[in-house]
Amino acid sequence: MRSNKTGWLMLAPTLAILGTFGILPFIYVVYVAFHRWNPFGANPDMVYNGAKNFRRLVFDNEFLTAVLYTLEFAVFAVGSEVILGYFLAQLLMRNFPGKAFFRTIHTLPLIVAPIVVGSVWRLMTTPSIGIIPFYLNNIFGYDMNMGRDPGTAFLMTVIMDIWHWTPLVTLTLLAALLALPRDPFEQAEIDGANRRQIFWHITLPMIKPAILATVFIRMMDALRTVDEVWMLTGGGPGDATRYVGLHIWKVVFPKTDYGYGSAISIIVLYLTLMMCWVLYVALVAPRPKKEAL
Amino acid sequence: MFMKSKITAIAAVLMTTAFPAFADFWSDAGAKYKGVVLHGVTESSPPSVYIKDVLAPQFEAATGIKVEIETTSWDQMYDKAIKDMEAGTGLYDMVYIEQDIIYAYLSRNFLVDMTQTLTDKPELKAPTYDDANFTTFANYFKNADGHLFGVPMEAFIKLYLYRKDLFENPDIMAAYKAKTGKDLMPATTHEDYTAIAEFFTEYGKEKGMELWGTTAQAHTGHAASWYEYYESIAPTFGVYNWGIDPANNYAASVANGGRMNSDEAKAAMKYWLHLRDIAPPESAQSTWTETATTFAAGRAAQGLIYGENAAWIASDATKSKVVGQVGFALPPLADGVMAAAEAGTGYIGYYDGGAFGLPVTSKNQEAALLFLQFIGQNEVQPDWAVAAPRITNTATYDDPKVVAMDATLGGYYTMLKDQGKLFAGAPAYPFHAQVREATAPIFYQILTGEIGPDEGLDAMAAKAEEELTNLGYRQ
Repeated sequence: MRSNKTGWLMLAPTLAILGTFGILPFIYVVYVAFHRWNPFGANPDMVYNGAKNFRRLVFDNEFLTAVLYTLEFAVFAVGSEVILGYFLAQLLMRNFPGKAFFRTIHTLPLIVAPIVVGSVWRLMTTPSIGIIPFYLNNIFGYDMNMGRDPGTAFLMTVIMDIWHWTPLVTLTLLAALLALPRDPFEQAEIDGANRRQIFWHITLPMIKPAILATVFIRMMDALRTVDEVWMLTGGGPGDATRYVGLHIWKVVFPKTDYGYGSAISIIVLYLTLMMCWVLYVALVAPRPKKEAL
Repeated sequence: MFMKSKITAIAAVLMTTAFPAFADFWSDAGAKYKGVVLHGVTESSPPSVYIKDVLAPQFEAATGIKVEIETTSWDQMYDKAIKDMEAGTGLYDMVYIEQDIIYAYLSRNFLVDMTQTLTDKPELKAPTYDDANFTTFANYFKNADGHLFGVPMEAFIKLYLYRKDLFENPDIMAAYKAKTGKDLMPATTHEDYTAIAEFFTEYGKEKGMELWGTTAQAHTGHAASWYEYYESIAPTFGVYNWGIDPANNYAASVANGGRMNSDEAKAAMKYWLHLRDIAPPESAQSTWTETATTFAAGRAAQGLIYGENAAWIASDATKSKVVGQVGFALPPLADGVMAAAEAGTGYIGYYDGGAFGLPVTSKNQEAALLFLQFIGQNEVQPDWAVAAPRITNTATYDDPKVVAMDATLGGYYTMLKDQGKLFAGAPAYPFHAQVREATAPIFYQILTGEIGPDEGLDAMAAKAEEELTNLGYRQ
């Protein structure tokens, strides 16, 4: 049996990196969150102000609106990605001409940097030069102007996210589907189960862990989205796409309100963890069995 | 562009050979720092790109000191520079200082006092560099003692550009006269500007042309729209310095002595919103450069355009469809604004620009100081002014290349020289981004129509005062 010392020594570099770049900055953010600190204020020094920053955000309409919009964005984007990703994974389970080509093309968005995705979608959606408004106008006579219509802007951020991240969901679910044993499906077919019954009672329960892992990852990504949306809409029109990640960026960097920005960051982290925990409890955690009467 | 840069770099090397006196100073001064690599961060604008592509290689050839300039977006540039100076990492040896941020930087002691350093270390002073060579725009980068904290590297005014081919077309002139009873000429009042804008938007529609009456920098989620209103529109209605009065406890609301929600500010907002409504559809997503692109594409008959884009719009046929068809004029004004500008109590538009400064956190301050003097010399200015429409040194105006370029640009440089004094930079506030970001969400709501302009400006004035109180400026 190897000694614990060797194990700790092997873990040390990782722990050092994690501590330096993960734990210490987090502790610093918590520390800053309890201070009033704007380096461009009349008093640029950090001043301890207790929990005032946290109290402030409870009444901050801009923050609460940003949280609400972010949740809407996350639910629509992630929900659509899971449904679309599942169907695409099912499609890729079958053989059809050009399958390899489709799989490659379908995966390409994953390797594009978010800032580039935002730029490309901005070009595609700008009135007068964008391909999307052009065809919408030519085919349906719809005059799309994302800068003037909050609903369209919101929808475009969702569609952009779906375009970018559905391939990840597809690949994850494809791996899960490929790993399923054949026996339960064959037995269900012999017993006369139809496709819907097979999906609800066999496929879905068996790939549920993969779906949940994907939902967790995508949900966390969606809640902290910044760069794509920043490039596409800048958070506008108005505050229609000022999602919470972008809101934090605006508070911390241009506004340099470090104390309040840190408090918002901590609360958003807490909300994200809570959401994931609720999802886990609702869908995965083992339930106590009902006792027989 | 690349070829041109190379040729200029080679010319610089030849120049240093031909003028041994200059070459001696730069090579002697640079010898001590051979092997040093200077890092700078700046906004990706034509003058900055010229520094990166032309002046940095020239400097390296003359001194042996390598210079790496990072050109990035406006937001990223500030983000990186402020983080570096705040954290004291010393990553950058030069940072771009836009005129409106200098007061914030000075309040935090981020920058090296160049005048003092050159006085203390005369061996670093280049014989061809002198603070006195700069135009009065350099005053924005000086402290109360007259000490310079940045070498001006771009300066331009936001002008009224119009399409000469349209304004001088006899058929269009007759149609305009028939419709309005007035002669078609560059507007001097807001009413005339609006009438011309409405006329051309309607004209474009009737003729099935991709033509609108005006540009509008009216992005509904980007600070560019906020700046267009406060720096270029509100002042033409007599609302200066964002309507905040520093002498009156930083009041913003009329109730407290400010003018952010004054009748003039509200009239300015309604005027601009109407123009936005008859501008090309991309205007709601236009930031700093997109208005220039719209104008260059021949999609607008007139507009307010930053001078840094004037040269390429007027002269670069590879980028612009309106080469040779661009006229320049002063922005339209409300009564009394010109008189106030001439008296020095007001201004008619935005005098924009920036400087290259030396952070106190730089680890290569002496080598960086050499570079900053290099780009501040009179000798490098004419080619720079031709490549990018900026003039920071008084002597540049009289250089034959610049005089020829001025003729090509229809007198833009002459206007900058003679009437630049009527324009003003941003107010001397150390809280630019803070007040802007606090009020911007309401401003964007005005643009989207979620809130009316009167109600919105009242809310913005209240928000500005609240933020100034939080920051400790308003008591």
